[in-house]
Amino acid sequence: MRTLVALLTASILAAPALAVEGITTGPNGETATPAADLILSPDEVATIRQGHHTAALAWHEMSEYTRAVDRGARDAFADLGIEVVAQTDAGFDAARQKADVETVLAKHPSIILSLPVDPATAAPVFQPAVDAGVKLAFVDNSPAGFVHGRDYAAVVSDDLFQMGKKAADAMAAVLGGKGKLGYIYHDADFYVTNQRDGAFKATIEADFPDMEIVAEQGMADPARSEEIAQALLTQNPDLDGIYVTWAEPALSVLAALKAAGNSHTKIVTLDLNEPAALDMATGGNFAAIVADEAYDIGQTAARASAAALLGKAAPPFLVVDSLAVTRDNIAEGWQRSLHTDAPVSVLEAAK
Amino acid sequence: MSGTVQDTRRNPARRIDWQQHVVYLGFLAIFVFFAVVLRDTGFLTVRNLSNIVLQTAPVTIMAIGLVFVLSAGEIDLSVGSTVAVSALSAAVALNGWGLVPGVLAGLGAGLLIGAFNGALVAWLRLPSFLVTLATMGLFAGVARSLTDLRSIPVTNGAFTGFFGSGTLFGIPSLVLWTVAAVAFGHLAFRETRFGAHVLATGDNPRAALVSGIRVPRVRLAVLTLSGGLAGLAGLLYAGRLQAAKYTLGETDLMTVIAATIVGGTLLNGGKGSIVGALVGSLMMGMLNNGLILMGLSVSDQMIVRGFIILVAVALSLREKAS
Repeated sequence: MRTLVALLTASILAAPALAVEGITTGPNGETATPAADLILSPDEVATIRQGHHTAALAWHEMSEYTRAVDRGARDAFADLGIEVVAQTDAGFDAARQKADVETVLAKHPSIILSLPVDPATAAPVFQPAVDAGVKLAFVDNSPAGFVHGRDYAAVVSDDLFQMGKKAADAMAAVLGGKGKLGYIYHDADFYVTNQRDGAFKATIEADFPDMEIVAEQGMADPARSEEIAQALLTQNPDLDGIYVTWAEPALSVLAALKAAGNSHTKIVTLDLNEPAALDMATGGNFAAIVADEAYDIGQTAARASAAALLGKAAPPFLVVDSLAVTRDNIAEGWQRSLHTDAPVSVLEAAK
Repeated sequence: MSGTVQDTRRNPARRIDWQQHVVYLGFLAIFVFFAVVLRDTGFLTVRNLSNIVLQTAPVTIMAIGLVFVLSAGEIDLSVGSTVAVSALSAAVALNGWGLVPGVLAGLGAGLLIGAFNGALVAWLRLPSFLVTLATMGLFAGVARSLTDLRSIPVTNGAFTGFFGSGTLFGIPSLVLWTVAAVAFGHLAFRETRFGAHVLATGDNPRAALVSGIRVPRVRLAVLTLSGGLAGLAGLLYAGRLQAAKYTLGETDLMTVIAATIVGGTLLNGGKGSIVGALVGSLMMGMLNNGLILMGLSVSDQMIVRGFIILVAVALSLREKAS
């Protein structure tokens, strides 16, 4: 509750308009609970360990982010004496995710952790697991129609509003609180990116009167982000900063800036990745990357599903913290977010 | 099992060539390997084995279409996009007007896309590689704009039973669709004049033309058939997932091509096998299944799968090269 109260207070103090929107809510409007509030007692851990349970990890895709979640989950499962028996990658394909879930069920896992590729249609994908009595915990969203406690243990995600707000604060810090901004948001119905993007915009508008979003552009398909960035920059060559909804499309924005010989415009984005961090470390266009504590997402999902094995209910929507990573704190930020050392190239460049 | 103009003409005595049966031997070898290695982990359960057949049903059905197309010396790269457009058309029509319009919309969309490809190839004499490369992107765009990137739930119980989770006499409907499509494809390919014309066209289009085969019509027919079967695959996906989305089929093209080639169909025409494609598709599904059950990490699964496909393709194509 600590974060929630702080968040509430902060948003009420910042601007009344934010008081309503300023709270991260879950995919079905659930209230957020800090991940740290989910605690297993030593007795509970001992009971879980005696059960010799197994778990399968049915991911939506594999990326640096998923690997960190995966690592967090595996470490938590190891502490609980739960063996991970399978790992799958659906490549963002709902049909493949259904096949993956059916396949891992052959190993009769006690737990499946997953990120549903398409929540609107994920119920048939995970229903066989529910029917088989498998305890489910999800990252970011839950299948439409699934009921917390009955069908799944918990959804674990970022403190989305905080991430967007931290991006806005970082942008303001970089630009000294004034300037013209471009805003590239995710133009799809996905509550994770929608809340983060919305929080950035709301914070800029409410907290920083000398900063103005002069150009905005939605992006539905990351593969087309370079074209979008190019169009935006052609029409607004004098932007001081650009917010990009996450790091992968932000790299396309970087490519467009480089092609235009523009070293003035600063980029602020979310989610760590190596090329973006390297550019930031070498004093390029990237000024700040807001990163969630992805490792903790895996840890929390693993603990929530293990609690369900004991019949102990976890809060429906658990959120982990995030931090703004800049050139000054790359090494520490990388550790906190992904629980691994930053790549040598990035560390060398940041020296 | 395979129809071969070349073999029968040039070398009738070598009709039974072990290389033609690489896919069956490979399938058997992989099956035995998994059966031994995964004996305690559920691989051999009826549930798991039937899952493999259910999961591969759409790919198998697309592969049947591709056998005809490749055997005629053409290619269809647009099958994945066709699947998405068909599934979405079916879902929208189902929700608006009910079962029959839904099915007709899905199959109709597939047939129309196939006929569009076929018309460009047959009458404008454009290479099918380039035509379907273009329409792959074109119809992927159509699929995205059709419902504005939204996924459409399919709630019609008759539809999801018929094309997805239903059973008839205890046999899952997806298995029945697979069996029906393979039987239809095999008979059409091996026992009809159309099948012979397809092979003759792929083997040597000029000779086929001289001998009175209407080559453009064959090309139109195989691409239309491929589109129609991709449409059926779209219906099966929509039924199985009880939803349609623009991403359906997007990643299937390479699996379909691999299943077809491993199954003994030549990329440059004149030879193909429907049963081989079925076994090739099952082999792909079994590989995915077994490698996951072995507990390999995703990266290791990809490496091993790629290696095995490489070996299988090398063995099944060696004959042509030598």
